[in-house]
Amino acid sequence: MIDTYKRLMNVEPPPPAKKPRGFFTDTSLCIGCKACEVACKQWNRLPADGFAMTGNSYDNTGSLGATTWRHVQFIEQAKANSSRQDQRWLMMSDVCKHCANAACLEACPTGALIRTEYDTVYVQQDICNGCGFCVPACPFGVIDRAPKHGQFEPGTAHKCTLCYDRLKDDMTPACAKSCPTASIQFGDVEELQQRARRRLAELKARGETKAELYGMPEGKEAAEVGPLHAFFLLLDRPQTYNLPELPRLPRKTMAQRYGWSAAVGVGFALVGALVFGRRR
Amino acid sequence: MSRGYYDYPVVRRPVWTWEVPAYFWLGGMAAGAYITASLAQTFGSPDDRRAAAGGYYVAAAALVPCAPLLIADLGRPDRFHHMLRIFKPLSPMNLGAWTLTGFTPIAFARAASHAAATGLLRGPLGALSRLVPTRLAELAGCVLGLMLAGYSGVLLAATNIPLWAKSKLLGGLFMASALASGSAAVTLQAARRGAPDATLHRLAMLESAASAGEIAVLAGYLMQSGRTARPLTRGRFATPFWMGAVGAGAVVPFLLHRLAARRRGRALQSLSTVAGLCTIAGSLALRWSIFEAGKISSEDQGASFELSSD
Repeated sequence: MIDTYKRLMNVEPPPPAKKPRGFFTDTSLCIGCKACEVACKQWNRLPADGFAMTGNSYDNTGSLGATTWRHVQFIEQAKANSSRQDQRWLMMSDVCKHCANAACLEACPTGALIRTEYDTVYVQQDICNGCGFCVPACPFGVIDRAPKHGQFEPGTAHKCTLCYDRLKDDMTPACAKSCPTASIQFGDVEELQQRARRRLAELKARGETKAELYGMPEGKEAAEVGPLHAFFLLLDRPQTYNLPELPRLPRKTMAQRYGWSAAVGVGFALVGALVFGRRR
Repeated sequence: MSRGYYDYPVVRRPVWTWEVPAYFWLGGMAAGAYITASLAQTFGSPDDRRAAAGGYYVAAAALVPCAPLLIADLGRPDRFHHMLRIFKPLSPMNLGAWTLTGFTPIAFARAASHAAATGLLRGPLGALSRLVPTRLAELAGCVLGLMLAGYSGVLLAATNIPLWAKSKLLGGLFMASALASGSAAVTLQAARRGAPDATLHRLAMLESAASAGEIAVLAGYLMQSGRTARPLTRGRFATPFWMGAVGAGAVVPFLLHRLAARRRGRALQSLSTVAGLCTIAGSLALRWSIFEAGKISSEDQGASFELSSD
């Protein structure tokens, strides 16, 4: 019967699973050239965001959003009266993390947000009805809804697709392809994780004591959202890069929240039965 | 000194507009009124049943704008039916869409059957409405109504907005507010149509219990939220929250009902009317202030870090 339904409803079988793909963004190699931002915009035909100056170092992008899927951060760390060696300039190309347990995907009521055969998280533009629930659900502030009356795909949710169209043709995503220093590395997630562990050990040996990986299966940040398929090597605490220490997955506390809600409702019904049942 | 990246927000600002709190308010009131009316039908005296059955009209009327409000808030309103292309209770938004889809026809059928029973609805439509199995409609409607009143707070809380997500009690708070406003709407129409004193006293008792419950849950919500609740308790939304949601929505009606407990006739009807209007207005103030203050909370980097370090 299910087969008949699928045939009648023209349900396509899902493509066969591939090896999980992702990004390893090594911030120790980033030079802040923003080639990734530009390549992403060009390939995905995302409109420009204007030329607003934030006054915060070279970051005039501000944040990820519906039409900005790579965002290079510039963190100037300098203490007053300190020697040159104490000053540093951290750069980091932020992107959708393609979480193993994605809050946006779980929130999506239409099934527009799906997990692809590459284990990435993808918004089907022909399904999304712009309910906006994924926007506050994401613990990283990545996904956003395009303005309802704008020029670009009005009213639907957008974020990094990990260049799904390029993956289908065995090509490297545009940002990784354009990165001149291999700060953005693309590949099989497991292999990238091995590479990241080696790189961290190398940096630690060189005296980068504050370096750490963010989004690895063994990291505490993976406790709820799972390993991040786009993960990072950071040179300071995650919060320095606006990354939460323990990104929350709303599902984890949902039963408890429904429980309190139900308790109030059942309590009211009991009081009602008592009040009306007490007919002198 | 900020601990994060400049003072940039960690999470994104919700894109929802006024339609969402307006829907939460109306949908909650509809559910509350339906449940109150059904409790009276099941457990009440003949007087109670007659007076409270008007609650079915309230529920049906309050449900009329609900679906249009939800559709208007979508980025692509023409695709509203995509909400029902899958069944995914894991998503409170999907669960809510299905609940509203199930509850609306039941509430309309029950209202029509009451209209037919009182002779308001005649002709073939009246005959058809008489076929509605009222007991079944009441039971099913109460279950779906509790879901409708209970999911909205959980939906807001199933995000990463600190004001909405920090406490575990937002769902319970919205549920209490929905039941208080729903029972208030039933009291209101009963008082206006001159219901007997005994019935009004019972309705007042039920509404007081809901208001008292709301105050208790609200206190728990504020305590659990701690500093995170500041966008709500201070600044722009302090007045609608304290004066509207807490004062008019819970404290004033609770006191008025205590006052009304010893009154009869016109005085009782007037007090019940004022208390009902206050509760209903306060319920809107609660939804609106928590919803809008959530947008300010979304920009609070420190609160986001606090939420994500527990």
